[in-house]
Amino acid sequence: MTALETELRADVRDGVDRETIDTVQAMSGSYKHGWETEIEMDYAPKGLSEDIVRLISGKNNEPEWLLDWRLAAYRRWLKMTEPRWAMVHYPDIDYQDQYYYAKPRSMAVKPKSLDEVDPKLLATYEKLGIPLKEQMLLAGVEGAAEPRKVAVDAVFDSVSLGTTFKAELAKAGVIFCSISEAVREHPDLVQKYLGSVVPPTDNFFATLNSAVFSDGSFVYIPPGVRCPMELSTYFRINAENTGQFERTLIVADRASYVSYLEGCTAPKRDTHQLHAAVVEIVILDDAEVKYSTVQNWYPGDEEGRGGIYNFVTKRADCRGDRAKVMWTQVETGSAITWKYPSCILRGDDSQGEFYSIAIANNAQQADTGTKMVHLGKRTKSRIVSKGISAGRAQNTYRGLVSMHPKATDSRNYTQCDSLLIGDRCGAHTVPYIEVRNASSRVEHEATTSKVDDDQLFYCRSRGMDEEAAVALVVNGFVKDVLQTLPMEFAMEAQSLVAISLEGSVG
Amino acid sequence: MLPKARADVLSARIAGLSFVPGGWLGAAREDALSRLGMMGLPARRDEYWRYTDPADLIAAAAPAAATFDAGDEPPVFDGIDRLKLVFVDGVFDAAASDDPALAGVEIDRLSTAALTDIHWARELYGVLEARGQNPVARPLAALNTAFATEGVLIRVTGRAERPISLIYTHASETSDVALHHCIRLEAGAELTVLENGPAAARFNKVMEVDLAEGARFHHIRAQGRDHERRAATHVFARLAEGARFKSFTLTANGVLTRNEVVIELLGNEASAHVAGAAVGDGQFHHDDTVFITHEGRGCESRQVFKKVLKNGAVGVFQGKILVRQTAQKTDGYQISQSLMLDEDSQFLAKPELEIYADDVKCSHGSTSGAIDETALFYLRARGVPEKAAQSLLVLAFLAEAIQEIADEAIAEDIRQRLENWLSRHEG
Amino acid sequence: MLEINNLHVKLEAEDKPILKGLSLTVGAGSVHAIMGPNGSGKSTLSYVLAGRDGYAVTDGSAMLDGADLLEMEPEDRASAGLFLAFQYPVEIPGVGNMTFLRTAVNAQRKARGQDEMSAGEFLKVVREKARALKIDAEMLKRPVNVGFSGGEKKRNEILQMAMLEPKMCILDETDSGLDVDAMKLVSDGVNALRDAGRAFLVITHYQRLLDHIRPDVVHIMADGRIVKTGGPDLALEVERNGYADILAEAV
Repeated sequence: MTALETELRADVRDGVDRETIDTVQAMSGSYKHGWETEIEMDYAPKGLSEDIVRLISGKNNEPEWLLDWRLAAYRRWLKMTEPRWAMVHYPDIDYQDQYYYAKPRSMAVKPKSLDEVDPKLLATYEKLGIPLKEQMLLAGVEGAAEPRKVAVDAVFDSVSLGTTFKAELAKAGVIFCSISEAVREHPDLVQKYLGSVVPPTDNFFATLNSAVFSDGSFVYIPPGVRCPMELSTYFRINAENTGQFERTLIVADRASYVSYLEGCTAPKRDTHQLHAAVVEIVILDDAEVKYSTVQNWYPGDEEGRGGIYNFVTKRADCRGDRAKVMWTQVETGSAITWKYPSCILRGDDSQGEFYSIAIANNAQQADTGTKMVHLGKRTKSRIVSKGISAGRAQNTYRGLVSMHPKATDSRNYTQCDSLLIGDRCGAHTVPYIEVRNASSRVEHEATTSKVDDDQLFYCRSRGMDEEAAVALVVNGFVKDVLQTLPMEFAMEAQSLVAISLEGSVG
Repeated sequence: MLPKARADVLSARIAGLSFVPGGWLGAAREDALSRLGMMGLPARRDEYWRYTDPADLIAAAAPAAATFDAGDEPPVFDGIDRLKLVFVDGVFDAAASDDPALAGVEIDRLSTAALTDIHWARELYGVLEARGQNPVARPLAALNTAFATEGVLIRVTGRAERPISLIYTHASETSDVALHHCIRLEAGAELTVLENGPAAARFNKVMEVDLAEGARFHHIRAQGRDHERRAATHVFARLAEGARFKSFTLTANGVLTRNEVVIELLGNEASAHVAGAAVGDGQFHHDDTVFITHEGRGCESRQVFKKVLKNGAVGVFQGKILVRQTAQKTDGYQISQSLMLDEDSQFLAKPELEIYADDVKCSHGSTSGAIDETALFYLRARGVPEKAAQSLLVLAFLAEAIQEIADEAIAEDIRQRLENWLSRHEG
Repeated sequence: MLEINNLHVKLEAEDKPILKGLSLTVGAGSVHAIMGPNGSGKSTLSYVLAGRDGYAVTDGSAMLDGADLLEMEPEDRASAGLFLAFQYPVEIPGVGNMTFLRTAVNAQRKARGQDEMSAGEFLKVVREKARALKIDAEMLKRPVNVGFSGGEKKRNEILQMAMLEPKMCILDETDSGLDVDAMKLVSDGVNALRDAGRAFLVITHYQRLLDHIRPDVVHIMADGRIVKTGGPDLALEVERNGYADILAEAV
């Protein structure tokens, strides 16, 4: 292939391919992961109490210190009130009318490897397109990308089913396992870092999570190690009336590197389900973490019935000098999104980046953004947020850029753009900019506009129908962010953008 | 019901104020007092007071402020032909004022209008302030409506041939003043209002501006150079179809200044421009809080706020463009920028967009940073001395705000003030 | 091929007629030019034919091979073989030029019940046609029209035309903003597409484009109507004497 062809092929892959649009149309306007797996589950009794907290801790065979940690969080939580400052409206959540623990019965005795896991569960992931076999993952397109490996931790309701490629990762010194396993196998690391970025007192939902988290992923990359493959956790809520409270802890030791992907789906149900996760990332000197999320929880139907309430606390602490973190999120699902992946830029010369696509259609409400807290000298941050509102949805960017007095010679650049499709939705921008030293430079730009009529007409005059034209223009609008995703995710995200906007025109 | 702590703060604040009942004004005051009773005075944990501590504004007694002598700098607007109305510590000074006669303009004082049974201002006094309490409470404005002792009521039916100039002077170190002005421009009318001077040790002002179809209102004010004053000012404006509102505020010094502007664009094709330039050195806290609501179709709004800060000065900007579902074809623009001349200063901003209509073009930008060293070097390499080069760059930074002044003579006057300020505050 | 009969059009937003009974027939294989002073309604005609919002047709008809154009959505007009080279080609940030072309080509093929072009075949064809228009790989990679010079935008329009192979091509002021070399390049591109099955309607203010794209018929348009029709000489007459004489004569 000539250089020209390579370039052209790369470009054909960009934007929306015809194939993407066809796939979208073939899906007949609905959420594609809305089916459920019929499987026998063991539940803890409904509701929340100290006994439930003890039960969860007991199920995971946790040490005393962790139970105490959970109970302290629970007692604290009882005194807290739910935050209502976000621009989202929902009826009061009855925290006693939920299950806090649900585990497939077949997982009662923990399988030794994925080969022993109930085939029904494995089939669930196969249907979702998540590889739970240790196979090469081929990038979806025209043989362009090299075969790559992605290690997966599969979390089903409250428990981790298992993790792939563990042996190969262990050879490199990388620990990748469920957090319940890490508590048992690597207690020192967990005790040292758990709650050190998001303390159990942090906020209402994080405190709730601290009390009742049941599983999640743990990653440790030793000094100087570049993780040999991408790591990924795939969250599936399946059981009814069950909240998912996972906790992820990633520690990148000095001069290490890891790219981590997170995906999530849930069945279609008429009732709302609560998801209150915590992700903590610790990054030491010269280390780098890339964290990408494609959030595709069930968004509810056109009338706003059902869908996930997603109240998530994600924070990265660039604890060392020259530490670097990059958050990329594609938020297409959930009835309510309340999520602000943040960067504490503590080390000198550390860097934080946040790239976000948030799409809200129908009755969805999203209030999402980031916090960039500059504490170290010469720290840099960059925020690119693309919000798209359609239907009757409300989409809010909320962000904080804070330059502390000692964070001299630091930089921030923020761009947040909103696109409106239809006249019944809302797009809002609520940035907080706090600059407490003069040598730092902060730039914030935001725009809000509708999908450009001239662009749509131009596309249509070349033969594309309205929905294809909107998908094309919207994909152009979000391209800066899509480009920051790993290839497989970029393809998935791109088709999700189109799917999420179905029915928004005409 | 107010929590007890807040109720106590409110009682302490109003204990020394005399409430004047009776007549149309008394009724408006009673309404305001009951609004105030519902919301209480501002507190630091209120969302729109997170960057400005209201303590001095809500304290029972006004913190003392030394009076101020501007030396040989002539008063602002000195060279402008205008109709002067002078207030000394909030008391109208008839001797120092011009005869309030201007073709097509009715001018009354609040204190005398209160004695009449019927006055046009009863349709306006406290009305726009009350509308402006939603969705964000502005308790200091309600406090003003309830207790203001004086103000001017201006009704314009034609094109006012001269600007009306409100001149405030501050003679007592403990004066605590509330003035409340109402301005109504009938269809097609035009008026320019100038305001300048330090009004009191602590000043609370409300100006309600009601613009009928096609009316044009231009407002330029220079808040005084006296450093120790505290001020909370409010402008509430309502615009009918095709009306134009344009305002510019220069704030130099002042330990605490909060300028709130609340504008509703109700008619179609109306336009509102609000601009401000603030310069502060040392103990200076300056807060612009601006809310513009678009309801009519095809309206335009522009917010341009620039702050130059040094020696620990604090600049705050909270601005919102709210576009309701009816306000298609809205063009909204907002920029807030700070230039920090040394390490200690702070810029705190919350520039918001809240948009419910799709066919709109709205944007905002906010920047903060030091002076551009490359530009400074370039000027010096061309032979401009450093101080002069710095002044030049600071004025260039402020230019976009000053451009919002339509009258070139006034703009030049303001520019001169800024140059003087910069030369006084060099180094 | 294109039959416009007594077309009356006004702006949707205001009661201002722009086209006031325009009639025009363009046969297969022919090239017609429409000339006229600014404000005569030339661009409105091209937008109305392509189906842009904002115009209301109050009377008359426009047919393409017997099908009622005015009843069709813009994309259906395109698939039916109508192509408008825009006077001001629209910029679409973030959407690669190649992606755009391929999406358009395949959308039209699908609408006509044809198979989609494979990526390989598409690449081959684009490369060929791009080369003829001196459009390099860099330009194909960039987002649609973003940061293109005036000449690049117009060449890009002709590339789209070459790829989409329409029956009825409307060129709206394609010469505006072009220097002599670019004009030559664009004209060569257009001339290469001339054949017995395809017709052109070239809208222009100046005669110079018609030196390169020789028309069979020239129409003069003024105040929303065709006021005079003639051979190529009519364009030269305009070049020499301006519009005033012709307009005076028409009244």
